[in-house]
Amino acid sequence: MRIFWLLFSYEWRHFRAAKGLVLLCALLLLTGLYGIYYGTTEMERQRQHLTTLPELSRRNVEELKVKFPGPADAGDIGYYHTTYAVHHPDAWAALSLGQRDINPYYVKLRLLGLQNQLYATDNTNPMKVLSGNFDLAFVLVYLFPLLIIALSFNLLSSEREEGILTLLLAQPVSPGVVVSAKLAFRLAVVLGLAWLLSVVGMLWAQVPLDGRVGTWLGLSTLYCLFWFGVALIITALQRTSAFNAVTLLGVWLLLVVLVPSLLNLGVAAAHPVPQGIELTIKQREEIHAGWDRPKTQTMNRFFALYPQWRDTATIRERFVWRWYYAFQHLGDLAVAKQAAAYANGLQQRYDLVEKLNLLSPAINAQSSLNALAGTDLPTHLKFQRSATAYHDALRAFYYPFLFRKVEFTHNDYAREPTHTFTSQPELSTALRGLGKLLLSVGVVFAAGLLLLRARPINPR
Amino acid sequence: MNYILEARDLRKEYPNKLALQGLNLQIEPGEVFCLLGQNGAGKSTTINLFLGFIAPTSGAAFVNGMEVAANPLKIKEHLAYIPENVMLYPHLTGLENLALFSSLAGFKYKEAELLDYLHHAGLPAEAVRRRVGTYSKGMRQKVGIAIAVAKHAKVLLLDEPTSGLDPKASNEFSQLLTQLSAEGTAVLMATHDIFRAKEVGTRVGIMREGELVDVRPTAALNAQELEQLYLTYMHN
Repeated sequence: MRIFWLLFSYEWRHFRAAKGLVLLCALLLLTGLYGIYYGTTEMERQRQHLTTLPELSRRNVEELKVKFPGPADAGDIGYYHTTYAVHHPDAWAALSLGQRDINPYYVKLRLLGLQNQLYATDNTNPMKVLSGNFDLAFVLVYLFPLLIIALSFNLLSSEREEGILTLLLAQPVSPGVVVSAKLAFRLAVVLGLAWLLSVVGMLWAQVPLDGRVGTWLGLSTLYCLFWFGVALIITALQRTSAFNAVTLLGVWLLLVVLVPSLLNLGVAAAHPVPQGIELTIKQREEIHAGWDRPKTQTMNRFFALYPQWRDTATIRERFVWRWYYAFQHLGDLAVAKQAAAYANGLQQRYDLVEKLNLLSPAINAQSSLNALAGTDLPTHLKFQRSATAYHDALRAFYYPFLFRKVEFTHNDYAREPTHTFTSQPELSTALRGLGKLLLSVGVVFAAGLLLLRARPINPR
Repeated sequence: MNYILEARDLRKEYPNKLALQGLNLQIEPGEVFCLLGQNGAGKSTTINLFLGFIAPTSGAAFVNGMEVAANPLKIKEHLAYIPENVMLYPHLTGLENLALFSSLAGFKYKEAELLDYLHHAGLPAEAVRRRVGTYSKGMRQKVGIAIAVAKHAKVLLLDEPTSGLDPKASNEFSQLLTQLSAEGTAVLMATHDIFRAKEVGTRVGIMREGELVDVRPTAALNAQELEQLYLTYMHN
C-alpha cells in the first residue's frame, strides 16, 4: 500500500503540471454548474408558470360572473370556463429534466372533447427541443465520459512513449499497482467533481434528503466507474496514446450516440405508434360530423353509455348543450382505441428500451436519473391518465346541470373539481438501472483485468 | 559458487526473429561483464530478460539465486538499471525524480543525502532544482546514475549507459563503476564502446545474432586485440 499511496500522491503532482487537464476539469465544473443553473431555472420557470394558472382560472370565473350575472345555462359555463390539469415537478426534476421540456406540464381543459385538448401544447422553439436539455444529468451522462477519456487515454502509454516506464518498472513496483494508483487518482478527481456537482445541485434544487440522494450518487459513481473500466480495457491493449484516444472516443460515440440512435430506430420499428396528428384529425372529423348526424342517433349512442340520463327530455330544439357535449364525448370515444394504442405504444417502446439499455450504459444512466427525478415517460403517461380522470370528473360535475336542466349559479363555481398531480419517482426503474450499471461495471473491469493478466505490461 | 546473475539456456524468440539463442552466463559479485555486439545482437534482450520486462521462450534467468519469472518484484530489489536514454518525469526537478525513484525502491533519504547522490553522479548543483524538462540528455543520464547508486543494488544492468555523456562524465562514470565493483556490485553492461569495456570490464562477451560467441577476461587482451577480436566476429 505504501507504493500505491506514493504513486497516488505523485499523480497529483503530474496532474497539476498538466495545465490542460486542470483547465478541462475547471471547465467541466463550470459546465456542471451551468447545468444546475439551467435545470433549476427551467424548473423555476415551470413552477412560476404553474402558480399563475389558478389566478388565470379565477379571472376566467370573474369574467364569466360578469358575462352571466345571474343563474346561467351550465352549457355556456362549460364552454367558456377554462380550468387546468397541472403536473407539478418533483424537486429532483431540476437535476434531470427528462421529458419535461417536450411534454406539456399542464393541460388547459374545457368541457369539450378531451383528446385534442390533451395533446394541445404551447408553442416551443423546435431548435431548443432539438438541442435538448443542458441539465446536470446531461453533463454527467454525456460530458463526464469525455473528461474520463481525456484523463485516461494515456494512462500508461504516455510514460511508455516518454520512456519513463522502463525506469519505473525497473523498481520493485508491480505494474498492477502502477495502473491501480493511476486509475484511483483519476477516479478520485472525476468522482470528486461528480459528487461536488451533485451535492451543489441537490442543495441548489433543495431536494428532500431521502434515499434518492444515495441512489443518485450511486448511479453517477457506477456510470463513471463503467467508463474507467472501458479505459482499463483500452490501457490493457498496450497501444499508443493516439490509438487509445481514437478508440475511446469511438466507444463514446458508439455508446452515447450511435447505439441510442439505432435503438431509437429499432424500437420505433418494433412498436409503431399511431401519429398524434392522425388521432386529433379523426376526433375533429368525428365531432364535426356530429353536427350533421340526426340528434336521436347521437343521443342514443350516448345513452347506451350513460343510461342514467336516458329519461331526460327528447331534444327538439335546433341546438342544446347536452347534445353538443354528447357528440363531443362521442368524438373522444371514436378515437379511444387510437388514444390507447398511442399511449400503450409509447409505454411499450419505453419498456423495450428499458430491456435493451444494457447495451448502452449512457441510456441506462439517463433513464435511471430521469426515473429518479420523476421526469420520464411513465410519469408523463400517469399525468395524462390523471388529466383524463379529471376531465371525466368535470363531465360528471356538469352532466346533472345539463341533463336535469339545473341552472348554474355563482356558488357552483367553487364546487367545480380541481386537479393537481405531482411527479413521483420511479424508484424501481432507478434501482434496476443501478443494478444494470453494476453489472456493466463488473463486465468491463473483469475484461480489463483479464486482458492485463493475459498481456503483462511491457514497459517498451 | 553463488552467482549474482545467471542465465541458463536462455532463449527468446519473436514471431519473425530469434533474439537470443541458449544464452549461458554466470556473473559473480564484483564482476563487470561487458556485452559487445552490433545492434540487434541480443544485448538489450539479455538485459530485458534479467529485468523481467520480457518472458523467456525457454530457459531461465536468475538474480541472486532467484528465478526472474517466479520473483518479478523481489529480484528488482537487487537490480538497478540505467538505460541508454534515461527518461524522467519532465515536470519534476532532478532532486524530486531521485526522491520518487528512491522511495519506490524503498529508500527514504533526507534532502542532503539526495543532493549528495546527485553531486557524486556529476549533476551540476545549479541543475538539481530545475525541472528535468530543461535537462540535456547527459544531465538526465547523471540523474539515472544517481538513482541507480542510491538504490544500493547488488547488480547494475547498464544498457549503453555512457551514451550522451561527454568524455569527462564518461570517465567519471567509469571510475564510479570501478568503485562499485570494488564494493562487490556486479555489473552487466551492454555497450558498443570497446575501449570503455576494456577499461572497466573484468570480462567481455561478444554477441552476434542472439548468440554469445566469445567470452574473454579483459586482462588477457589489450584494447587493440579486443577491437581486432570484435571486428573479426563482426565480419564473419
